[in-house]
Amino acid sequence: MSAVVVSSVTKTFNIGRTDEVTALSEVDLTVGDGEFVSLIGPSGCGKSTLLRLIADLIEPSTGTVTVAGKGAGQARKEQAYGIAFQQAGLFEWRTVLRNVELPLELRGMGKAERKARAEEMLTLVGLEDFGGHYPAQLSGGMQQRVAIARALAVQPPLLLMDEPFGALDEMTRERLQSELLGICAKTGTSTVFVTHSISEAVFLSDRVVVMSARPGRITASVTVDLPSRDDAGRQSPPFFDKITEVRQALRGTPLKTVS
Amino acid sequence: MRKLLYAVVGLVVAVALWEGYKAVGNPDGTVLFGVRVLPRADDLSMPHLWTVLERLGRPELTGGRPVWIVVVRACLFTLGITAVGFVIGAVVGLLLAVVMERFRIVERGLLPYVILSQTVPLVALAPLVAGWGGTIMPAWAVVSLIAAYLAFFPVAVGMLRGLQSPSASGVELMRSYAAGWWRTLVKLRFPSSLPYLFPALRLAGAAAVVGAVVGEISTGTRGGVGRLIIEYSREATSDPAKVYTAMLGAALLGLVVAGLVSLLELPLMRHRRHVEVVTL
Repeated sequence: MSAVVVSSVTKTFNIGRTDEVTALSEVDLTVGDGEFVSLIGPSGCGKSTLLRLIADLIEPSTGTVTVAGKGAGQARKEQAYGIAFQQAGLFEWRTVLRNVELPLELRGMGKAERKARAEEMLTLVGLEDFGGHYPAQLSGGMQQRVAIARALAVQPPLLLMDEPFGALDEMTRERLQSELLGICAKTGTSTVFVTHSISEAVFLSDRVVVMSARPGRITASVTVDLPSRDDAGRQSPPFFDKITEVRQALRGTPLKTVS
Repeated sequence: MRKLLYAVVGLVVAVALWEGYKAVGNPDGTVLFGVRVLPRADDLSMPHLWTVLERLGRPELTGGRPVWIVVVRACLFTLGITAVGFVIGAVVGLLLAVVMERFRIVERGLLPYVILSQTVPLVALAPLVAGWGGTIMPAWAVVSLIAAYLAFFPVAVGMLRGLQSPSASGVELMRSYAAGWWRTLVKLRFPSSLPYLFPALRLAGAAAVVGAVVGEISTGTRGGVGRLIIEYSREATSDPAKVYTAMLGAALLGLVVAGLVSLLELPLMRHRRHVEVVTL
């Protein structure tokens, strides 16, 4: 069963008004179980819109979205995914630990159990010593890690990320990329990752989906198979080949076109 | 400690300004083109501060209780009225804000009237309220209602702003957790509105004091500091320091209320006190 199936989805905002805009047009996307898929494209290509459709934060104008075999709305109600945004969006009045506990709390999990789970998640992102801190005391990178821990807290089969490392410096970003890969490998989570960084997309993904704007649609799908996903992988020829391939696809001279 | 120091410095500056102007100002006031631009500085208009303090210690009337006891008692009476008005106003303001946040159409329809409510002169309104309410409730309750009428406004407006303050991603996050309106309100909107709520409550506290004092005066309610100001001001020509004792009491009442309201903040704003940043 596929983690996500998006079939012929069109999303139009402000229908019937003068500022009507078609954000997505006839988009098809399938994310396999355990697959890491990046969405990349210029601003306004609808990559964030596509992610929000999968998350059922907005509804498609036409077409269907299926998450883990269920309708997107049902999947959201069952917390079948975890989500992280560009801004960590932690609740500043809660300690780090209580931030990670939030989705568990809303699920009605018992106090002791959710504390144990949240501590486990913080260990996963290397912040086990900071549970008692408030978000304002942490650096941007650490806050983003807390956000990832929070997204993983319900142990969802699917992780949705909207430019989660976009606001971070390059060094922190690379370290978090490696950590994210480690976590995904350990938990077997399928991931949809929105980014505007070509190297980030290539380094992280099994598949990079390239989108173009006005109207937003998928123009290419590049399968990436690096020899290893570590610093050696970042230096390997296939890494640079794939970067070139994605860049050409973005410029509209694709080597191959899928859907 | 430092806060206390600043408060003392502020007090000293105020005293210096008062006594300084009294020393250099024209006793008949400064008149420019027939308009008095600076007040009179004679003992009748601006008694020396020590005269006011000394007046506090002497009996109100010959053989009566000292003025300070009378003023403190009147302030306590008004404090009670203020507290009731503040609580009613805060609750009403909170409820209005929640309803306005929940229903956009209510916000559009109601908010202009909420603002309009504060442009009606209180002095005109107070006797009306006294007229309607006087038959079914005691006089102090009428005054509380007037205080509440002033106090609800900053809370309603500030709280609405606070409830609308969470970022879009915060709201989306709650939606992604399948949290409904109520749980989003409790877990996200209420906590993030606190930085807006507390300044609003302080304003409401001050407004409730004003409402109580003016309410007492315009409804003729006995026992409070508002009534005392009116009574003492009738003696202003013979005993100018006396009316200032009552005003001092009213000012202190305002400070006490503001202080009590800011005590509410302490347990709820703990996270704001941590500033040091850890980097890893």
